[in-house]
Amino acid sequence: MMLKGRLITVGRAIAFVLLALILCGIVFQLAGYSAKEMFQSIADGAFLNPGAWKNSLRWALPLFITACGVAISFRCGFFNVGAQGQFYLGAIGATFVVDFMAGWPAFVVIPLAFLAGILGGAIWALWPALLRVRSGTDEVITTLMGNFIAGLVLIYVCSGILKDPSGTGQVMASRPVSPAFRISTNSGLSPTIIGIVIVVGVAMWLLVNRTAFGVLSSLAGRNPIMVVWQGAKLSRLGIAGFVLGGALAGLAGTIEVLGPNGRLVSGFLPAHGFTAILIALVASLSITGTAIVSLFFGGLAAASLYLPVLAGLPSAAIDIINAAIALFITARTVPGLARLAARRRASGST
Amino acid sequence: MAPSGAPALECRDVSVSYGPVAALSGVSLRLAPGLIHAVCGQNGAGKTTFARVASGLVRPNRGALFISGQEVATGNVARARAAGVELVHQSFALPPSFTVAEAMEFGAEKGTPIYSRRGLEARWKQHLENLGVRVRLRDRIRDLAVEQQQGVEIARALVAEASVLILDEPTAVLSPTGVEMLFDRLRNLKAGGVTILLILHKIREVLGVADTVTVLRGGKLVEGPLPAGDTTPQLRLAHAIVGSAAEQALSGADEAALTGAEGRDLGASVEPVASVPATPAGPVALEIAGASTRADPEGPALADIDLAVGRSEIVGVAGVEGNGQRTLVRMLANLADLQSGRIALAGTDVTRGALAARRGAGLRIIPFERNTEGLSLASSLWENWSARQLLFGPLLKLISPAAWRRDCDLSLKQWDVRYATTTQPAGSLSGGNAQKLILAREVDADASLIIAAQPTRGLDVGATAFVWKSLRAARERGCGVLLISSDLDELFDISDRLIVMLSGRIVAEFRPPYSLSAVGAAMTGAR
Repeated sequence: MMLKGRLITVGRAIAFVLLALILCGIVFQLAGYSAKEMFQSIADGAFLNPGAWKNSLRWALPLFITACGVAISFRCGFFNVGAQGQFYLGAIGATFVVDFMAGWPAFVVIPLAFLAGILGGAIWALWPALLRVRSGTDEVITTLMGNFIAGLVLIYVCSGILKDPSGTGQVMASRPVSPAFRISTNSGLSPTIIGIVIVVGVAMWLLVNRTAFGVLSSLAGRNPIMVVWQGAKLSRLGIAGFVLGGALAGLAGTIEVLGPNGRLVSGFLPAHGFTAILIALVASLSITGTAIVSLFFGGLAAASLYLPVLAGLPSAAIDIINAAIALFITARTVPGLARLAARRRASGST
Repeated sequence: MAPSGAPALECRDVSVSYGPVAALSGVSLRLAPGLIHAVCGQNGAGKTTFARVASGLVRPNRGALFISGQEVATGNVARARAAGVELVHQSFALPPSFTVAEAMEFGAEKGTPIYSRRGLEARWKQHLENLGVRVRLRDRIRDLAVEQQQGVEIARALVAEASVLILDEPTAVLSPTGVEMLFDRLRNLKAGGVTILLILHKIREVLGVADTVTVLRGGKLVEGPLPAGDTTPQLRLAHAIVGSAAEQALSGADEAALTGAEGRDLGASVEPVASVPATPAGPVALEIAGASTRADPEGPALADIDLAVGRSEIVGVAGVEGNGQRTLVRMLANLADLQSGRIALAGTDVTRGALAARRGAGLRIIPFERNTEGLSLASSLWENWSARQLLFGPLLKLISPAAWRRDCDLSLKQWDVRYATTTQPAGSLSGGNAQKLILAREVDADASLIIAAQPTRGLDVGATAFVWKSLRAARERGCGVLLISSDLDELFDISDRLIVMLSGRIVAEFRPPYSLSAVGAAMTGAR
């Protein structure tokens, strides 16, 4: 029963992704591009070319961390769609530490940078959570708007307090992170990063599958009224899920800055948080699923660099594919909206 | 009683199956015109399916339907309505925001595309008056009492000159006086020549109004149509409904409840209900003193509630629905806004205590709404079952789901829940099994007070008997039970003491033997 249910879930996710790809193939064919070439170059760029998998992994690892956070907050029934903003705030927090503590030893600065990044993301999730719990403000709206504010804050610090004076002025960015504080080269793959991802993955899997928190938050996400009648504090579960989600997005932001990016760039990776939401949804909010789906989306991200070269397609084609997948997955998640309404009723009684 | 001419409604050899489950098999029934017919049976006996076949909602796999002697295509609501068959559903289907006049117009045959409110009211006033439905046509459906809503629903069904009116469990939502009003209404309709088919499961009500009674069991017609009246053997009907398999499991008391208030005259077979001391020694399970609340979204404010439930005592709460029973339960669950007063559980003051603390003091709740407040239908059985205990432990400690599933498996087997695996969603259980799952979670050795809100609503006789047995067993263990029910038979049968709520107050208290007329009077405030 359980196995069958899981197979159905997995089968459905694969079917949706395939449908989205077919749809995009038709659209590109009609637009005058070759669908065959497009798929070929995606496959090459993501997995088949020598070394392509390394590039895919580079994109997949931070996405996985953010997507774990999204999955956990969604499981609690709190639709935190602010991963992008939390990711930015994490990156900003970490950059502040490495920029202002430039003379300090690495073993002090790096942990502090991680702490600042995690805190930055967590704080950017905390205020929508508090608004939601205190006054019932819809977290979908606050977190979504928080993304824009975070994007502006990023521009502000990159063109102001953190600005690299030697920069060209075309792209605003912070001073490069001192090599002593980097946790990987531009390739984005290093034992540190892989280690962090494994630790986060295992911890989150345990949290979801092997703790009372995991069971209760999943009950709360599916029927908040029931857990209220069991005596649970819905607000605490919600805040915990929210803040954890933000913290993980902040961690991913820290990894990007200290790892492959090596500096804070204004407006960098503008779709990271949204792709993470997509990953969590395609994976049906399972942590194992998130790991697998992250690899797929990491592959797509890697391939987007090959597309203009190989298929003559704009790299935005990958965004279109993502959007098509989002479309199908959202259609499936409509019952989630019904849950949203049920939660409204429940929150009236807490 | 001899039918003159063609039967008003006839089903020949009707079979319906949903997948592998046969809901009806080979049912043939002729209903004479101008009479009130009743179809009885347990949950799942096929009553509602039968009503749906007769009204064209369900197409049977086999069989034919005749209305006033004419064969009518099955599974076609429009044809059945055109032939004069109308169905009044178990749960009302009127849009709550409509006025009475709009609700009448909505779905009527000869509607006009443009109308004025005044015109509508003029159009339907006479029709409602003729049927004795006394409502103001500009009132909104949501502001009407249930009896009035039902009146409007019946009036709507009779717009199109219906010759056969089918009512599916019409008394489920009504107070005793409401039931009498409904029956008067039905008798008037019968006098006007309408044939009525009632789907009911309470024999007492059936015998009070019906001319013939037919019993379905397991989708088969097992008895009838018998003429209904004082001479009908109630026990024979009861046994026809329950069947032989469950018969041995049916205690005298349950039989009494099934056959209704008169059944208590069975004497020796009834379990003595007053066998425990009326004022128990030691700390009481629950003590509420002078409790008042603000108005609650789910009912009126409570005013000055004083109530004690002793250990080893079942206190029944009677009252027409919506008179503060829900607020009472919500207050005890710390979900309503308590303004003054004091609440103590097993001697511990919990007036300011959160629900988790109250549960820690032994409070257990079988809530009103099984499928929303009681269970998360999309979650697995073991998650639902373990929620209460998991909430008491540290949230981040590692647990073993396999061990919890094993414990859940053992517990559910003890409680006789029918299921395939503990990982199946709770929504896949039938109503009775879902309720047993809640019992398995809420009735444990540490419980000191069990609040059972409508614990048997919608359950069949076997499951009902099981719930009662469990509550009695909890009482024997020294647990206090607060039973809220709208079924007076149930309350009379199981309560050691009975209180009546009216408009958020406790207006009367009774001890056995209970008098239906006295309790009924207290419920309606007619003293």
